[in-house]
Amino acid sequence: MSNQQPQPRIQLTDVSKFYDDGEVRALDGLTLSIFAGESVAVTGPSGCGKSTMLHLLGALDRPSSGTIHFDGVDLRRLNAVQYRRSRVGLVFQLHNLLPQLTAQENVEIAMMGAGHSARQRQERARQLLADVRLSGREGRQPTRLSGGERQRVAIARALANEPDILLADEPTGNLDQDSVDQVLSLFAGLRDRRPDLTVVTVTHDARVAAAADRMVHLRDGRVAGGASPVPVAPRE
Amino acid sequence: MTFVGLVVHNVGVKRLRLALTSLAIAIGVVTVVALGVVTASLESSALAIMQTGRADFTVAQKGVSDILNSNINEATVPRVSAVPGVAQTVGVLVSTTHLNAGNPLFVEIGIAPDKLAAFGVNVVRGRAFGAAATNEVMVGWRTAENLGLRVGSPLRIEGSTYRVVGIYSTGQALGDAGAMFPIRHMQDLERQPGEYTLLFVQVGAGVDVAHVRAKIEGDNPQLVTIRTTSDFGRADRSLSLISAANRGSRTLAIVIGAIVVMSAMTMTFVERLREFGVLAAIGWSRRRVMSMILGEALVIGLLGAAIGSLLSLVAVRIVQHLPGLEGVLHPVFTADIFARALVTAAAMSLLGGLYPALRAAFTAPVVALRHE
Repeated sequence: MSNQQPQPRIQLTDVSKFYDDGEVRALDGLTLSIFAGESVAVTGPSGCGKSTMLHLLGALDRPSSGTIHFDGVDLRRLNAVQYRRSRVGLVFQLHNLLPQLTAQENVEIAMMGAGHSARQRQERARQLLADVRLSGREGRQPTRLSGGERQRVAIARALANEPDILLADEPTGNLDQDSVDQVLSLFAGLRDRRPDLTVVTVTHDARVAAAADRMVHLRDGRVAGGASPVPVAPRE
Repeated sequence: MTFVGLVVHNVGVKRLRLALTSLAIAIGVVTVVALGVVTASLESSALAIMQTGRADFTVAQKGVSDILNSNINEATVPRVSAVPGVAQTVGVLVSTTHLNAGNPLFVEIGIAPDKLAAFGVNVVRGRAFGAAATNEVMVGWRTAENLGLRVGSPLRIEGSTYRVVGIYSTGQALGDAGAMFPIRHMQDLERQPGEYTLLFVQVGAGVDVAHVRAKIEGDNPQLVTIRTTSDFGRADRSLSLISAANRGSRTLAIVIGAIVVMSAMTMTFVERLREFGVLAAIGWSRRRVMSMILGEALVIGLLGAAIGSLLSLVAVRIVQHLPGLEGVLHPVFTADIFARALVTAAAMSLLGGLYPALRAAFTAPVVALRHE
């Protein structure tokens, strides 16, 4: 029997991100491994680089130095558009739904360009909204949904293309307690259905952090304490 | 939802902006269509004069501002007739006069009575005028209908009274809406003795028309031969200028329309910057983002084209009935003119949408997502 660690789904190695000609160091030599099926909560004070790390993982931005590997492949060698479309699902704090579209259409647009017919997109969006308990709300525009409902639409949109990684940036940041419970329950149910799904959640909420397999605390652009935390064994 | 459905849906969100932008494009389209129709009408009328005679081509003086200012001395006729291949040459003097409010540019043609048949004139009632007559006139059947004239009726033109001796048909609307006089009398009236406006040339069977035209122009550098509308510009600088003005206006309309569309679409870009960041984050390619914005611009352009085409029909009717233009313009609405309007509207919208589309596609997703 081998004691070899499995290959991380995501491997950040000495990743730095500078702004304003290096005056602002959002990330400063961050090294972190995240495994398939793992749920990681990233915490830390404002400005410590949490969201920057999430943007880099989502290929929305590039590191100033260091490397990020996805399943052993350098992100720089992957097609960013395809990676964002099929490998990663993003949930934002402000849900970022398109106000002119209905809940269903907001989910459908994530599948445009992914090889589905309009009918397939429609059926899958309806199913995803049912999964986040929004059946009957498909035709409503974001302005006619509660904060919690909007965030659930955003989660359905993030899952539209069956990503390997779900990246959530303060997904409960603007929600009341009931809505936070609903989102946590959704995440738990999702991980039960998709054991291989990797979830990285940036949060200030202790309850959300406690629900994760592992908590990574960032400070000044690196993991607090200087050493990369030891990952827990990936979920079976 | 389909991609096209999304594009159309997005366009309908800001309805006032859509209405105003479409209206701006519509105004550009009206300019293009109305000027196109007027130019086509003038060209058509001009060509109708050329085609009144049963000729293979027409000869005029080169480079005159208006074809009716063409002056060809009758000594030229034998030279043209002598060109190998020429079967017959008919000289005519063409002029216009203000007959009444309904006929501000009434066409008068002076021609020798023995050349009427060669000129393609059929006398359908009465007889031809005498060669030396000074008070006889033939009117086209349209003129007879419009003015209620019959053989024997008096017709008063520029202070002189003529007796209608015949009614003719040429098969051309403009010629049939005019009158014909003996050439000598008309040359006296116009104080142009021995002068013609145009020569109508028929060539023999099997003769190469192009070769004959080239020979005539080569031997007579002051003359130009006309067979098609495009030839007409070589003889009539006014029409060339109108055509040039038409092209210039179209270019200007495209530029102004594009600026209006760009302004509206750039405003949209700023308002929707965060949306473009979201689209990038969920895996939309730059090409897809650009296609969406250009598609939205195109929908606005097509709407403007539709509105503009309808407005241009009204505009041309109004221009047609303006005092002084009544009876002059015979609008010719061709598919080509509307196709040009469509292309113009599409060009306006795509040019105008290009800059905001490029900005939306090439703004970094993180920058777009941070936009408030």
